[in-house]
Amino acid sequence: MRLLRPMLLIACVLAAWELAARSGLWNPLLFPSLVKIAYELGLFLIQPARLMEAWVSLYRALGGFALAALAGVLLGMLMGRSARVAELLDPLFSGTYAVPKLALFPIFIFVFGIGSLSKVALIFLECLYPIVIVTYHGARDVNRVFLWSAQNMGASRAQILRRVVLPATVPFIFAGYRVALPVAMIVVVITEMISSADGLGYLVIYSLSSLKTDRMLAVVIVISLLGLALDRALVFLRNRLVYWDRLDTYYV
Amino acid sequence: MNFFVKGAWLAALLVAWQLLWMGGLPSYVLSPLQIATDFFTALGSQELYVHAGTSLLRALPGFAIGSALGVALGLAAGVSRGFDETLSPVIFLTYPVPKIVMLPLFMLWFGIGDVSKILIIALACFYPTFINAYYGARVTPTILVWSALNMGAGRWRIFRGVVVPSALPLIFAGLRVSLALSFIVMFATEMINSRSGLGHLIQVAESSLRFDLMYVSLVTIAILGYAGDRLLRAARHRVLRWQEVAE
Repeated sequence: MRLLRPMLLIACVLAAWELAARSGLWNPLLFPSLVKIAYELGLFLIQPARLMEAWVSLYRALGGFALAALAGVLLGMLMGRSARVAELLDPLFSGTYAVPKLALFPIFIFVFGIGSLSKVALIFLECLYPIVIVTYHGARDVNRVFLWSAQNMGASRAQILRRVVLPATVPFIFAGYRVALPVAMIVVVITEMISSADGLGYLVIYSLSSLKTDRMLAVVIVISLLGLALDRALVFLRNRLVYWDRLDTYYV
Repeated sequence: MNFFVKGAWLAALLVAWQLLWMGGLPSYVLSPLQIATDFFTALGSQELYVHAGTSLLRALPGFAIGSALGVALGLAAGVSRGFDETLSPVIFLTYPVPKIVMLPLFMLWFGIGDVSKILIIALACFYPTFINAYYGARVTPTILVWSALNMGAGRWRIFRGVVVPSALPLIFAGLRVSLALSFIVMFATEMINSRSGLGHLIQVAESSLRFDLMYVSLVTIAILGYAGDRLLRAARHRVLRWQEVAE
């Protein structure tokens, strides 16, 4: 029942689209009808060659993200728990935070070649920032009372790290992951649009330049659904792992 | 102290890079000294300013439109339940979708000129500002609203005097994210299709193996991004003088 009004909004947008498509005011290339888009979407889902393109994009995005997820948490935890490391690395991360890392892509192409590696490397770099920064803040601001009482009860450093610091930081880590995962999707699509011969981003540009707008929109829908599904999977995983602090599920 | 550490870090990195370069690196890696010389040479010519200006004229209007809309609608959704229940689920549903995929569609609708680029930047900037303004308005302490009501403030007065100030820290956080995003999207659109701007410059430099030009545009975009971030932080510092800003 709560979903009724948003559904209505979406239905209105779709109806307006279909109306624009059928009105004949615009070229059907600009507003392909929903039926044609749905047809292309169906075609996409039954063609193994197309599904392979989706797999290529997914594999790049998840590869870069997974590397950043590992390295970012390690770096962030180190920075959060050691003032010396933080003093060393914090200026580096906060200083280059606002610089668009995408500008490095041409150089990455020279260094890592034009294939998947340069894209994965760029995704890694773009995802690293939010994960490191959020993990750092989380690990630094662990409630001091918990640390003291663990020490009081004779916990070793390793034990404190594993039983106190890590659980306290996990919600932050997942907050960082949730920022980074859409970034991974964005970067994979952009890099595939700029230079690639495979992947979903390439398919979008290719469909556009062959004036197959309906096919292009079908690919756009596939990319959107992938982004959405990945985010949902991450929230599901998070609520499983962080069972003591469930995410506010009002909308998310 | 902090400043000193930063300077020492930067100097150490640059020296290490220079030494590595002298030890022999592939031709696409230039030395810091070389890049600096190229950059200052480029500063003397017209070309760099033209490209940087074109890029900024795309990124900044996009950022302004997108974040103004995002803040306005986010605040509105934060205070009005009917609006919230209609709009917010749609926004949160489409949030993880990479907005750049709409670029080809926008190019069809609005042409391949600046309009489609500005609009796609605005779309990308809309989301972080909307979500932050929305949460900012929702975390307004109820007690403050009650006491304002008690003292006879009207609805508009409460919105302006209580809700907006308590949402401001989060609004600035959202603005910071979308400013960075506007530069990324600007760069992406210019690399994908454009005849001007820094993204175009770097693309041309790459395909003609002009490494000097490539690094010059990289340094320029880095400086612009950094300067924008600094300006925003300065503005935040002024507006939020009453709040201890946690770095």
